[in-house]
Amino acid sequence: MVPAYPALDDAQDVEDIITDEAGLRPPHGTAPRVSMVVEDGAFVAQGAPVACHSTQTDICFVAPMAGRVARTELLSGHRLSEIVLFHEGGGDSITHDTTDAQTEAGLRRLMQRAGFWPRIGRRPFGGMPNAAERPAAIFILAADTRPRAPDPRRALEGHEDAFRRGCRALSRLTEGRVLLCQAPGPALADTDDAPRLQVVITGPRHPQASAGLLVHAEYPAGIATPVWDVNAEDVAALGDLLHTGALPQTRLVHVGGSALKTGRMVRTQIGADLRALTFRHVRPGPHRLWSGSSLDGHAARWLAPRHRQVTAFTPEASDGAPHWLVAALTRSARPKPMIPTAALDQAFAGRLPAAVFLRALSAGDDETALKMGVLSLLEEDLALADYVLGAEAHLAVLLRGMLERIKTEFAA
Amino acid sequence: MNRGLWTRETVVVLLLAAYLPLALFWLWFGGINDLQRFALALLVIAVWQLVFLLARAQPISLSAAITALSIAMLAPEELGAVRLILGISFGTVMGELVFGGWGRNVVNPATVTLAFLGFGFPAYAWPEIIVPVAWAAIPAAVIGVMAGVMPAGLVLGATIGAAVSFGFDVLPATVLPAAGVVLVLLVADPVTSASTALGRWLNGLLFIALVVLFATGWQGAAPVQIAVAAALLASLAAALLDELALAHWYAQRRRRHGRY
Repeated sequence: MVPAYPALDDAQDVEDIITDEAGLRPPHGTAPRVSMVVEDGAFVAQGAPVACHSTQTDICFVAPMAGRVARTELLSGHRLSEIVLFHEGGGDSITHDTTDAQTEAGLRRLMQRAGFWPRIGRRPFGGMPNAAERPAAIFILAADTRPRAPDPRRALEGHEDAFRRGCRALSRLTEGRVLLCQAPGPALADTDDAPRLQVVITGPRHPQASAGLLVHAEYPAGIATPVWDVNAEDVAALGDLLHTGALPQTRLVHVGGSALKTGRMVRTQIGADLRALTFRHVRPGPHRLWSGSSLDGHAARWLAPRHRQVTAFTPEASDGAPHWLVAALTRSARPKPMIPTAALDQAFAGRLPAAVFLRALSAGDDETALKMGVLSLLEEDLALADYVLGAEAHLAVLLRGMLERIKTEFAA
Repeated sequence: MNRGLWTRETVVVLLLAAYLPLALFWLWFGGINDLQRFALALLVIAVWQLVFLLARAQPISLSAAITALSIAMLAPEELGAVRLILGISFGTVMGELVFGGWGRNVVNPATVTLAFLGFGFPAYAWPEIIVPVAWAAIPAAVIGVMAGVMPAGLVLGATIGAAVSFGFDVLPATVLPAAGVVLVLLVADPVTSASTALGRWLNGLLFIALVVLFATGWQGAAPVQIAVAAALLASLAAALLDELALAHWYAQRRRRHGRY
């Protein structure tokens, strides 16, 4: 059942690469209002704040490596688009004071100032949480089933203590449960580390460890009960932050895809330059670079704050406009009907009635979708279903439209 | 963007592959007349698809071959071309094309055609499904379920239901071949059968229950007639069964999480 890919002969070693340029971007699909802390051309240390949220001033976007601020792009209304930094050696890294991290307020402030906040995902509606939001449950994802995703357990090797420290800290941010989602094997943390910790065993096939489907099955997110999800590697980074005062800015990333000669594992900074990561490894000819996996990634120049994969594609050769008869036979009457098959059920890991849900989604039936738990889901969770249906249904667009509709309705 | 291949036409092609053993055995034991009927049905459906392509820009589909095969195998015998064309036109237009083509229909067009022919021209004898052809329904169901294009719950539910009712001696052996072939051709259609896990089991069980009911209570009905009538009612009840399954699923989630 596993399709054979070219470029899967991964080197087992992890290369440490800090790219010369890096781009700071807000979580995909959001553009928060920011106020700049430093000017273009200023030198910043690793972990130093570059921009702050304009209303929730504790939330900072920090420099992933020591360097110089090269270019700042803001949209209208001081909304953050991207900040580009040039790497310059010799800079030191910022150390935060961790003495008041024992209190919840102190811990929140530390996480926000150290730039940890954009690494947290929230449901419903996605994006990063508000500064004061208390989640009803926190999901720690120590499994990743996306095609060619790096195993989070490998990223945790040697950081087990930091991971447990991070779990303990996260459990102080919620009154609800902390759910540790991991592949079968010895538990990575237990209730000694966090009193309300619960281990959820996930299956090996995508999307069995997809965050949205886990949230949907274990603790559905709602308007009044937001749920956070954090990758296990970031939890270990939080543990390191609490121990040393400095937040690690590198992560384990898999670089792969059909346009590469060989896939490889690198440890690189957040916001790394994708061109530098694939340079000298791509096959000759045109290629496209995506941050994220081939299913749920998007075209980008920089590694997105929550992504752990880089995919290089060979673009499909387009033959121009098809013959008018062929177009009439195949391209009329869109969207095409979707046939409920076992493949579609498996695209939701059999956890929700796929055909009924997709019917509600494409018909814009918000009430049925709400009843079925649409608030737990984001675009990335429907990526496999979209792929399976031949990318004709545009489920991600439909879901985003529905979520925005629900958001405005409940905000009113 | 890379894309998967489970579009409508992939499902149709896989369904056709599943029906190949059935079609081959049927042709092997049939003759040139059967082939003629199949060709006529295919031609009529193709013409109607072309009409809807030109009039309403509805893309054509290979599903015409599936419908034609079902009609050719199960329609009453010696109807003559005119009645057959009338029945196929009604079934394929009112059962499928006015809803937007295969994938958007609520009843199987072949079921509508057969019910129309059965009710409209009751004087003509229904065909007999011979045992070797009925055996070929088993590989068809296996291929369909393995490829994921036939609902596994439905096929298993119907099989278990048939085995139990056969064991209790309420399902006559004479109906079994027809019920098997109709199950594979008409009931296990991914579009018009129930689409939830529990709904599919209920759909299969309901089909067998209706077959048993008609076989014991409908005097003088032919096996194929019984099976087609059961298929029509079972597919009409599919939406209701889905609603039941959904209500159960909502209740389960409510119990577990205290909310939806």
